[in-house]
Amino acid sequence: MIYGGLVVLLFAAMLGSLTLGYRLYGLDQVWQALFAFDNSETAVVIANLRLPRAVIAPMVGAGLGIAGVLVQTLSRNRIASPDTLGLNAGASLAVVLASSAFGIGSLLGLSMAAALGALLTSFLVFAIAASAGGLSPIRIVLIGVTIAGLGHSLVEVILTTNEAQLQQLLFWLSGAFVDRPMALAQSGGPILLAGAIIAVLLARTLDALQADDVTATSIGVPLVVVRGASFLSVSLLTGASVAMAGPVGFVGLVVPHAARWLVGLRHDRLIPAAALIGAIYATVADIAARFVIYPVEAPVGAITAVVGGVVLLVLLKRRAA
Amino acid sequence: MSDLPSTLTVARAPLALAIMSAAFVLLALSGVAFGSTWIPLDQVAGVLAGFGEKTQNIIVLQLRLPRVVIAALAGGGMAVAGFLLQKITRNSLASPGVLGVVDGAALGVVIFLAVLSDESNSLVTSIAYQPVAAMAGAIIAITLVFVLSGRQASSAIRLLLFGIAVAAVAKAVTMVMMLIGPIYQTSQAARWIAGAVNEVNWGEIQITAIAMVPVMLLVLLAARKLPPADLDEVSARGVGLDLPLFRILIFALAAGLTALAVAFVGGVGFIGLMAPHLARLLVGRNVYAGILGSFLLGAIMLIGADLIVRVLFTPIEVPAGTVTAVIGAPYFLFLLMGKQRHDG
Repeated sequence: MIYGGLVVLLFAAMLGSLTLGYRLYGLDQVWQALFAFDNSETAVVIANLRLPRAVIAPMVGAGLGIAGVLVQTLSRNRIASPDTLGLNAGASLAVVLASSAFGIGSLLGLSMAAALGALLTSFLVFAIAASAGGLSPIRIVLIGVTIAGLGHSLVEVILTTNEAQLQQLLFWLSGAFVDRPMALAQSGGPILLAGAIIAVLLARTLDALQADDVTATSIGVPLVVVRGASFLSVSLLTGASVAMAGPVGFVGLVVPHAARWLVGLRHDRLIPAAALIGAIYATVADIAARFVIYPVEAPVGAITAVVGGVVLLVLLKRRAA
Repeated sequence: MSDLPSTLTVARAPLALAIMSAAFVLLALSGVAFGSTWIPLDQVAGVLAGFGEKTQNIIVLQLRLPRVVIAALAGGGMAVAGFLLQKITRNSLASPGVLGVVDGAALGVVIFLAVLSDESNSLVTSIAYQPVAAMAGAIIAITLVFVLSGRQASSAIRLLLFGIAVAAVAKAVTMVMMLIGPIYQTSQAARWIAGAVNEVNWGEIQITAIAMVPVMLLVLLAARKLPPADLDEVSARGVGLDLPLFRILIFALAAGLTALAVAFVGGVGFIGLMAPHLARLLVGRNVYAGILGSFLLGAIMLIGADLIVRVLFTPIEVPAGTVTAVIGAPYFLFLLMGKQRHDG
């Protein structure tokens, strides 16, 4: 029932993404562009500009939503997310490095680099946290934020030595769905799917992990395997999202809260709900990005970061973390 | 504990400060000497004393010296701000960067650049107001952090979390402003945010220096009362000190110093975190020695970072702030790893 509603909402949001924008199109025009392509200007705009973002936005949102659920469960921390753990920054750094230092240009290569960057960062953050005397929620976030700061400044070094790319990369680095080729969805899609499948397979064991480690071990959860697989899943999801849209901030922080509020704590319900809500959220934010500083387009990452920052403040205020 | 360590540190402070001053002078001189053309130190001294060749005069006085001076002022100011914040929050993890002050100042400057430029990309008002914008942004940010955290402000680590959240929002809005603004201003703003000490002129230095003097004086005046602030609220009231009010004053001073430091130089990250630490390590617990030591170390760090950037990356101008961040972030993590039990 809830899922049905979410699917309908998602569908509506995607339609909105196709029709609303600098120019408004009617549903009939959209229909014609998608199913009876006639090379008219309208059809070209809808099929080449609107369609990719209407597809990529929900993919990225779903990926980050699931990643957020996993990260919050793993660190038992309700203010954790791929960004507060520095995973977005790590993935960004990896992408910038891959393209400027190793000359990797293929979309698949960049997606892989992003996933690898996210994976290495997650290991780094948790290794440091563990050696710093335990995985206290606040400590993990502090370490993650610092690692993120480090990643950002390294990106900064690369960018300033490479000024020609600045303007373009600046937009990418703030997270955006605009001007993404459809091919990105094709190269990112499988990675995203792999991450999501691992997450779904882990759902049952993640429920057990919500308590403390001792309880989890006593009912036979292989902690190391579960943690490792979860990190892999989070890294694949975050990496693919970053490769497609740049770091879209705080989606992974906000979405799990909404999902928990809707369907409760069980991961087999939580993960699909987070995927749907994330998809809706990203799509709606993308539509909003077209209008906040109309006629110029804002990066959607800025919008989600503002929303996320405010949500974070509210969570802190309520001492939810 | 006996009083042995304290007598030791008292004896140690003057020596440490003397060594720092020497290092500062040496670094400042090499900061002037290094660059696309090397100017020997004796000739640098000659120019500064007033008798140098014409070209050397121009290079030293117009290009290199401003850079070194602003680096010293900004690095020092940032470090003192960090010192105050760490002292008043009783937490060694506090710094202008982590409390959202730097991002607030950045937002102020970016709004200033974006709103007050005309179509031909030039500012409609004097650049002299840039520090004012930075100051306003910094003070608004730190006020927000405090108002929002409310009673949780007494826990330093939660304060940091609120700082992180406010910083995140400020950063996002900054990003939007940079995209709205004209392209030339955008690249200016990007460099500014990364923290670059090149392209400053004497006018800007004058503004910074003139504004910094009264703030520093106030800091020194307030410093007299700083040690009791190590106490908790009740005992502080016992010795006749209104801690909440005093705390607000210190925070305002720290915000002011940060704003001045970043106004022209930009986000030189992590100096405000590292310098006070090292200073306490080197000069001990005396507050005045700590402030002086922080200032010197901050100045040394930023001049040094700028030197590193110039030596490693010439002819490209990489912002010095990146160096301080690359060194500072690991240091911060090291700190976190050392402090095992102090969070909630």
